[in-house]
Amino acid sequence: MNRVTRNALGMMLFGAVTLQAAAQETLKIGALVTLSGPGAAWGQAMKNAAELAADKVNTVGGLEVGGKKYRVEVVAYDDKYQAGEAVTVANRLVFEDKVKFIIGPTGSAPTLAVQPITEKNQVLTSTLGFTNKAMGVDKPFSFRPVVTTYEFSEPQIAWMVKNLGVKKAGGLFPNDESGQVIARDLEAAYKKNNAELTAKEFFERDRVDFVPLLTRMLARGIDTIELDGNAPGTAGLITKQARELGFKGRIVRTGGPATAELLTVAGKEAAEGMMVHAVIDANLKSTSAYIDAYKAKYKSAPNGFSPSYYDFTGMLFEAMRRAGTVTDSAKVRVELEKINDYAGVLGKLGWTGKANYGVDHQLAVPFYVAEIKNGVEVIRARCTVTEGCN
Amino acid sequence: MDWNLLIGQATVNGLIVGLLYLLMAVGFTLVFGVMRMVNFAHGEFYMLGAFAAYFFTTKLALPFLAAVALSFVAAIVVGSLLEWFILKPFRKDELNGMIVTIGLALILQNVALMAFGPDPVSLPSIASGATTILGVTVANSRVYVVGFAVLVLLLLYAFLRHSRAGRGLRAVVEDSETAAIQGVRARLYYPLGFGIGVGLAAIGGALMAPLFSVSPFMGQTPLLKAFMVVILGGLGSIPGAALAGLCLGLLESYSTLFLSTSTADMLIFLLVMVGMLAFPRGLIGRGEA
Amino acid sequence: MTTQLTAGRPAPRTSSAWKLPHGRKLAVVGTAAAVLAAAWPWAAGQFVLHLAILSCINIVIVNGLSLIDRSGQLSFGHSAPVALGAYGSVLFSSMFGLGTITAAALSLLVGAVVAGLLGWVILRLRGVYFVLVTFAFAELVRLVLLDAVSITGGANGIAGIPPLSIGGFAFDSRERFYALALVLAIASVGFMVWLFDRPLGRAMTAVAANPALAESTGLSVLRMQIVAYIGGSVLASLGGVLTARYIGFISPESFATGASVAFITMLVIGGRKSLYGPMVGALVLTPLPEFFRGAVQTQHIFYGAALILILRFLPGGIAGIVAMAAARRAKP
Repeated sequence: MNRVTRNALGMMLFGAVTLQAAAQETLKIGALVTLSGPGAAWGQAMKNAAELAADKVNTVGGLEVGGKKYRVEVVAYDDKYQAGEAVTVANRLVFEDKVKFIIGPTGSAPTLAVQPITEKNQVLTSTLGFTNKAMGVDKPFSFRPVVTTYEFSEPQIAWMVKNLGVKKAGGLFPNDESGQVIARDLEAAYKKNNAELTAKEFFERDRVDFVPLLTRMLARGIDTIELDGNAPGTAGLITKQARELGFKGRIVRTGGPATAELLTVAGKEAAEGMMVHAVIDANLKSTSAYIDAYKAKYKSAPNGFSPSYYDFTGMLFEAMRRAGTVTDSAKVRVELEKINDYAGVLGKLGWTGKANYGVDHQLAVPFYVAEIKNGVEVIRARCTVTEGCN
Repeated sequence: MDWNLLIGQATVNGLIVGLLYLLMAVGFTLVFGVMRMVNFAHGEFYMLGAFAAYFFTTKLALPFLAAVALSFVAAIVVGSLLEWFILKPFRKDELNGMIVTIGLALILQNVALMAFGPDPVSLPSIASGATTILGVTVANSRVYVVGFAVLVLLLLYAFLRHSRAGRGLRAVVEDSETAAIQGVRARLYYPLGFGIGVGLAAIGGALMAPLFSVSPFMGQTPLLKAFMVVILGGLGSIPGAALAGLCLGLLESYSTLFLSTSTADMLIFLLVMVGMLAFPRGLIGRGEA
Repeated sequence: MTTQLTAGRPAPRTSSAWKLPHGRKLAVVGTAAAVLAAAWPWAAGQFVLHLAILSCINIVIVNGLSLIDRSGQLSFGHSAPVALGAYGSVLFSSMFGLGTITAAALSLLVGAVVAGLLGWVILRLRGVYFVLVTFAFAELVRLVLLDAVSITGGANGIAGIPPLSIGGFAFDSRERFYALALVLAIASVGFMVWLFDRPLGRAMTAVAANPALAESTGLSVLRMQIVAYIGGSVLASLGGVLTARYIGFISPESFATGASVAFITMLVIGGRKSLYGPMVGALVLTPLPEFFRGAVQTQHIFYGAALILILRFLPGGIAGIVAMAAARRAKP
């Protein structure tokens, strides 16, 4: 053959050898999240958190487990917040992509629908869904990285009743699994603190006009409107319309970070003085570093649930390191359960939940009661799952 | 609980919402009357009108009224073009035309999704505070919206009654064959009818944009309401649609007051079905059977 | 919308090496290809089986829609009988302790009665009015399911549904369930082909083509349409039963407007004229989202465009293309 061909072949061979040397094994982490429709804000936050955690290990050459280095790849699919879609996606992740670890699902109904598949195939899941059926002794591979109404409502409401004099609250809730569970938990929490969730209204998730419901609620003499359980955009609309109706009382959101959206939709004026559940203390250096990194890559602020997932993914990697394997999910699970002092961006993290769920698969993240003053969350109380708020 | 006050409040709420339904339904029935097409994409034009208003007010910093007017014009143009290029073969073909509009709806919604993303966006309020008349509180922004909507309806009425194009349109809606015989150029009226019909939906969306948030999914519910209103009012009858729109708004408002939302929703569906079977020509009997 | 799918069935090929007459060659090769295609999922892994099962269920459901369509009415609320079949069969076994098959049969029976009563009332309406009323009815059903929390679980739905079992044999693996779904899908297509070759089927076609003329020849349009509506609803309910027993989880969300639109899309793209249209539509559209995962919007834009283009240029749908090709080949 002539010189050109020989050179070309040589270069190809050289290239192939180099590529071979550079080729690593890939660790695929699945993301079964809601990327469209209501709930998309949460799903995006989850997926991006996992990707940031993956970036962090990939930039230092990969995740080192059992002497080998793995490039972490996040394989994400949209479940559209529907159980049926989630089942198909789970099938794909488990049988086609062969993942053993899944970030998500986002919603309660999708979670319950996919668990038969994931538990049977020993695939670890990390749900955002607030249903208390998501975890249990019979579901050894299901975890939850975010605290739910059950964990935070009682301490927060106790603090609010004591410090703000809340007596009669009214709440609007979406008519689905999450909404119904949250309404029930909140009612119990208010009752325990000698206050009352006087009015509970349920509505279809895509409703935008709350004036009729608010009219009904306000007529019952409530002094506080409770926004927990609603998607961030919906919470903003309820706030805006309540203020427009002339409601002068307190508006609180005992759960689910939504401040950015509240401010955008309701406006600074309507949101002024709102008491919200905050999951981030922006004064914590580690947290603000995460927020900056997120903004730099994705060009928008993260939804408050994002840091929990970043830390969870980090804990997952740590568990893999300790177990010495990325494929044996049973071993990884055991190691994951043992971690109780992880230095995450949210602080020191461990597991809790046995009293309520039978297993300690609930991540105990700190949370705060904050007041919105002039468009910014100002922390008024610091809380932990075990010790309540001060 | 002061019942008079509550009912007064509910009436005002109901009329405001009814006005929105009216806008949607009149446009919808106009399209059906002219082209015998059940336009499943009608809700998407509502959504596009809202996004247009959002775009004009936030990105081009136009005053609200100008934004609404511009959205209307844009919708007429886009609607007419779509009719001319895509819907023309399906004029008068009821079932196939309907399925084509389903396809159109899918395309429009997903184009909006790709362009704007799934998260709802908000317009700045056009007015703040609330007015209280006779004990009934209404947000000022809603008062403005009602004012504009009434203005639009008056203009529409004047157009349909007194202008040549308007009268021609009404003729085509009532009886296209006779209209053709009388020299009304039906070929021009198809794009015009469709354009104005979806233009009204777009105005509805633009007007409601500051009150509710704007998202690519916002068109589903108004479409459903438009269906129900024209069923009650009689397909093809503009006055029927107007009356039924207001009635539906009031009915919803009152039933939400006394019943839970889901019971109210079910009741309304049931009433619509019964209404359709009992009054096939619509409440005031001027629609098609 | 539970639409997924793998590649469509391959077109029949001929080989000059064979000495059989032309038509025969086509039939033999075509059948062999079909059998291979149907058997392939068992060898292709769990995910393919999953898609194949969903496709078969959709075939049954869309055949039901086609049956109603062929009598001259298009139902925009086809998700309603599917929902009733799903919830009915599950609730009959959980509330009354009936066996899974008995409960399924009972729910189909109840579904038929409901369809008959409903049809008797609403089939007096024509064309777009019927469309709108079926739409309203489907929404009503969904709202009732959502609201009757104590019975239906409301928005949470019903989880942990046990699989179908006859005697001791349970359809609890994908391999087994696919066998069942495949048999039922083929049976539904066979049923349609058989029905429209008989006087009853021809009467329905006549009623659809020209109701006034049919009426004048003594056919009762209403009665024909009610029969078709009952049949179509029962097929849909059967699909619902299969869905519930396969996925193991049902909630009102899966039976919303999107599902009705999906079924219509499958029918139209598959082809409304051909009896094989529903099958083709379901086979093509069920796995399609899997190719689009990650580009959901593009997928829906594609559906929308496909609907418009097919109605405009190919009213016979994909099945129509195959029919045209076969017809051309048949010409001497």
